[in-house]
Amino acid sequence: MYMFKYICKRIGLMIVTFTIIFVTCFVLVKLLPIDTSVGFGEDTSKIIAQFEARGYFDPIPEQFVRYIKRIIMDGDFGIGFQMPSYRGRPVWDVFIEKLPPTILINIYSSLFAVPIGIALGIFAALKKNKWQDHVISTAVMVFISVPSFVYASLLLYTLCFKLSLLPLSFSSFQHIIDTYPEKNFVYTPGTFNWHLYFNKEMFVSTLPAVFAMSFGSIAGYARFTRAELTEVLTSEFMLLARTKGLTKAQATTRHALRNAMVPIFPSIIGEFVSVLSGSLVIEKIFGIPGVGGLYLNAINSQDYDFFMMLSGFYLLVGLAAGLVIDLSYGVIDPRIRMGAK
Amino acid sequence: MNNKNLFKKCMAMLLAVVMLLAAVACTKDPQGDQGESELKGHKDPKNYTYTTYLTLSPSNWNELTYQDNNDTEVMGWIGSSFFTYDFKYDENGEIIPGEFEMEYSAATKLEDVSAQYVGDKWGVPADSKGYAYKITLREDLKWENGDAIKAEDFVYTMKEQLNPDFQNYRADSFYTGATTIVNAENYVKQGQTLMTDNSASGKYTVADLTKGADGVYTQPDGKPIYFALTTPLAWCSGSTVTDYSAYLDAEAFAALQGKADANGYVAVTDETIALVTKLIDTDNWGHEPPENVPYYMVYEYTYAAVDFADVGIFVGDTEYEIVLVLAKPLNLLKDDGSLSYQAAYNMASLPLVHKATYEANKVAPTEGVDLWTSTYNSSVESTMSWGAYKLTSFQAGKEFTLERNDNWYGYNMEENDGLYQTDKVVYTIVEDWNAAWLKFQAGQVDGIGIDVSIADDYKGSSRAYFTPSDFVGSLQLQSNVEQLKARETAGINKSILGNKDFRKALSLGINRADYNTKCTTSSLPGFGLFNSMHYYDVENGGVFRNTDEARQVLCNVYGVDASKYASLEEAEEAITGYDLAQARELLTKAYNEELAAGNIKADDKVFLTFGSGSITEAVQRRCDFIKAAWQELAVGTPLEGRIDVELKDFSTAWANDFRAGAYDVCMGGWTGAAWDPGYFLLAYLDPGYMYSRAWDTANTMMEFTMKGVGENGADVTETMGLLDWYACLNGSEGAKYNWSASALEQSKRLQLIAALEEQVLGVYYTVPLQNEFSASLISYKIDYVTYEYNTFMGYGGTKYMTFNYDDEAWAAQVAAQNGELDYKN
Repeated sequence: MYMFKYICKRIGLMIVTFTIIFVTCFVLVKLLPIDTSVGFGEDTSKIIAQFEARGYFDPIPEQFVRYIKRIIMDGDFGIGFQMPSYRGRPVWDVFIEKLPPTILINIYSSLFAVPIGIALGIFAALKKNKWQDHVISTAVMVFISVPSFVYASLLLYTLCFKLSLLPLSFSSFQHIIDTYPEKNFVYTPGTFNWHLYFNKEMFVSTLPAVFAMSFGSIAGYARFTRAELTEVLTSEFMLLARTKGLTKAQATTRHALRNAMVPIFPSIIGEFVSVLSGSLVIEKIFGIPGVGGLYLNAINSQDYDFFMMLSGFYLLVGLAAGLVIDLSYGVIDPRIRMGAK
Repeated sequence: MNNKNLFKKCMAMLLAVVMLLAAVACTKDPQGDQGESELKGHKDPKNYTYTTYLTLSPSNWNELTYQDNNDTEVMGWIGSSFFTYDFKYDENGEIIPGEFEMEYSAATKLEDVSAQYVGDKWGVPADSKGYAYKITLREDLKWENGDAIKAEDFVYTMKEQLNPDFQNYRADSFYTGATTIVNAENYVKQGQTLMTDNSASGKYTVADLTKGADGVYTQPDGKPIYFALTTPLAWCSGSTVTDYSAYLDAEAFAALQGKADANGYVAVTDETIALVTKLIDTDNWGHEPPENVPYYMVYEYTYAAVDFADVGIFVGDTEYEIVLVLAKPLNLLKDDGSLSYQAAYNMASLPLVHKATYEANKVAPTEGVDLWTSTYNSSVESTMSWGAYKLTSFQAGKEFTLERNDNWYGYNMEENDGLYQTDKVVYTIVEDWNAAWLKFQAGQVDGIGIDVSIADDYKGSSRAYFTPSDFVGSLQLQSNVEQLKARETAGINKSILGNKDFRKALSLGINRADYNTKCTTSSLPGFGLFNSMHYYDVENGGVFRNTDEARQVLCNVYGVDASKYASLEEAEEAITGYDLAQARELLTKAYNEELAAGNIKADDKVFLTFGSGSITEAVQRRCDFIKAAWQELAVGTPLEGRIDVELKDFSTAWANDFRAGAYDVCMGGWTGAAWDPGYFLLAYLDPGYMYSRAWDTANTMMEFTMKGVGENGADVTETMGLLDWYACLNGSEGAKYNWSASALEQSKRLQLIAALEEQVLGVYYTVPLQNEFSASLISYKIDYVTYEYNTFMGYGGTKYMTFNYDDEAWAAQVAAQNGELDYKN
């Protein structure tokens, strides 16, 4: 029951936090001066009329009420107005169409990076201060220090260009439709189009980006796991486990790993949530039509509807992730009870 | 037997030779064989795909609302033209460089029908030409779905273009530019209440206004009228009073600012009238008389309702005739009735939408929005083509494809036989140049711009070609001395930039040839405001830079004595813009003057901030070059070791920050109006556009003699401010003379264009460095019809593009090269 109360309390606080930040974002972005400049010989009054008709010169509270009413009543988050490439497009449609590739490459890279990273970390911890540990630790330092766009460029050049093992860019829907005519795939703009992502051709085209994103993560997990496990392995309860007759492997898997996972598991969730915002550089290099860069461009272009929708989404995801991470501690380690006194 | 054997041997050898020759003939050059393919054009049964890339995705290729160049990428394929340019050929069938011909395309006839619309309704003056045109369409025009296109479709589209409920982004194309349709502006603005410039309309004097009980003047009908401090005014050449505040009475300006509302409007009262009278009565402003005070007012005006029948576009006598009545004349026809270059420039087409599709894609206003919008031409389903190609797939941010539109009228035209070989066009969105470069080498993209990083290796490639641009990259030097002084700190001097000799020294201290070699891929040294892409007489191929007047300007500015050369052309060729000895003399002179005036101390360092919109490798390289050049310039002068330059990022506000005096040096230039150099000078003389905004072009006086423009060909000598000369050159309202392109021969206008260019260059706020050329590589797969750039036709585009490989052969060719094509040679 105390857990239920705790969750309710956290959700209540989440709503308050969300509202305060969301309103602040709206007010701040609306306080920015509106750019009504036009090109050589164009009519400024036409631009002003456009802004006026969209209610941009109305009092901010009035605009906010209208904005919220539109979302609640019609599910309408507005349309792109200023940002090149997305003018006149419903912001929600653009977002949901661009979200799947970002999610997919991050899930794939997590599926690839987490087991390898944790395995390497466990191996390094078990071989602490032996040559295997030194090799892994050195490699970890190298991979953590090099930014992912460097791997991306190297992978693109070697695997995709020189060796032609993988495609040079992420596959387009049209390519998938042409490759699998028997499946009668149809692309519907403004929707997730999940059905177009789960095939061999599309999967292979995600691999360069997945590899590029994984190296840093593998190194990160390996280092973290090694550090946590090393500490746990030297704990007194591990000695007790061995003395009561468990083998080293049994003691490690049943006791050491479970304890070491307490901080590692939430970090996996945290990383997954953070990657929903996409990787601007990786997506740019591999031609992935994902959400990376969308938020930054919305701010630079002063595209209000895009900015507010993305702010709201990431804010909500961030707050929810915080709650999920906190609750996950209890799942990993039953001794931890959130909200218990 | 022996003879038989000999015969057999000879035949066998002959056969072997023939087979060998045949084999050689059939073998393609592994790196492409230009010119070998036959010109079968659109009737060629093989598949030919042209692949290219964009860094940003188009989003809206609706002709009524498009906003950027990515959108026009799609529009170019799915639309057609009434009139087009084409190459001009000599008697041997060779393209004549730089020349063009005009051709009818979607239209079959163009007639000047101004005489039929003379009178009050349309405002066409008697005995005038160029005000009304009748365009007769081909009768086989069709949409991609087979629907016929008639004149009423163009009229419907124009009605939608000007629909006041939409406020379409491109509506002003028909009332602010060269093509101004009668009543177009009134139709689109009907019902709107806007502030109108009193100086433009000349509607009110103070006596016309009504004074209220509160002492505030209003229009006679009670609607408000204000003084405008931040609104662009025609009387200020499109700039605002605030832009010119440095030349106006400071006290009066401050008082008016104190009374202004958030929009910069000041109520008209006796007190504010007195303040404005004082504001404009200064030496720097030429002591304007009190009767000019109303020119600084704006008044509220509500546009009346207009019937579309009163807008100057309608169907003619037949269903294939469009009649267009213009508010300003256009010379679309030459005296002999043939098409002038302006036909394809100003009237290439009118917007056209497919009525049923457009209506189906209208979006009604939502909560709190009074505006209708449209999703027409934003996806495959909402797109309809009447051009040579149709959109067949579109994935935003990733890829789109176009394929041949078999319903295009052009494929029925005999003159297009052997042309339009391209069957399919694939556009990929690739934001990263390095990724695009790998795709190009892997045969997945058919063209790419050469980046500086690969320029040394690829500029000499047989597949490289160079495209000139009308852009002249110039160094802009800060003109606002007050701001320069304000940013000085102890030991740091900036205001020496205010010394003309110092600026001239900075200009002569840059080796432009070296700069372009080291800092650009393929640009050439630039010396003037105009380059070889600026035409003063398009019809006759008159390039401004090639005239004696223009050449003399550069000789004067860069100190080349033309009399020592056989011709002005030779004298111009001797200009390098780099004279270190003279530059050092000027630097020393400027320093001594400033030292004597107490503007710089003997131990001050000249520290200049070079601003940019972003700090990229290219920008850093340029800044480093300029810094090194100026530090070398100072060697042996009192400023040796005392000049330094820093690079700073001013992001998207870099241009406006420079104009506001926030930093000292930037690279900037203008593009556009390449066929109207007289108008283009606006960028360098009007404070609304100028980088060196503090340079007072209104009151910089020039005495000049215009030869042969007076009565009976007499000369006219005048002393006027540069802006006034500019107004005369363009026949602006209120100008003392009308020497606009329609009123005076181009050859005579030249002398004034050249004189104004010399004035701008002579103050050294703008220091031209590069005439921009872009370098590109073209794939072995395709070839252009010419690699000599033609202003009107480019390289011939898809119409003339030929393929050396069909899709299958190209895939095989790339595979044979292990997926890596070599473009170095």
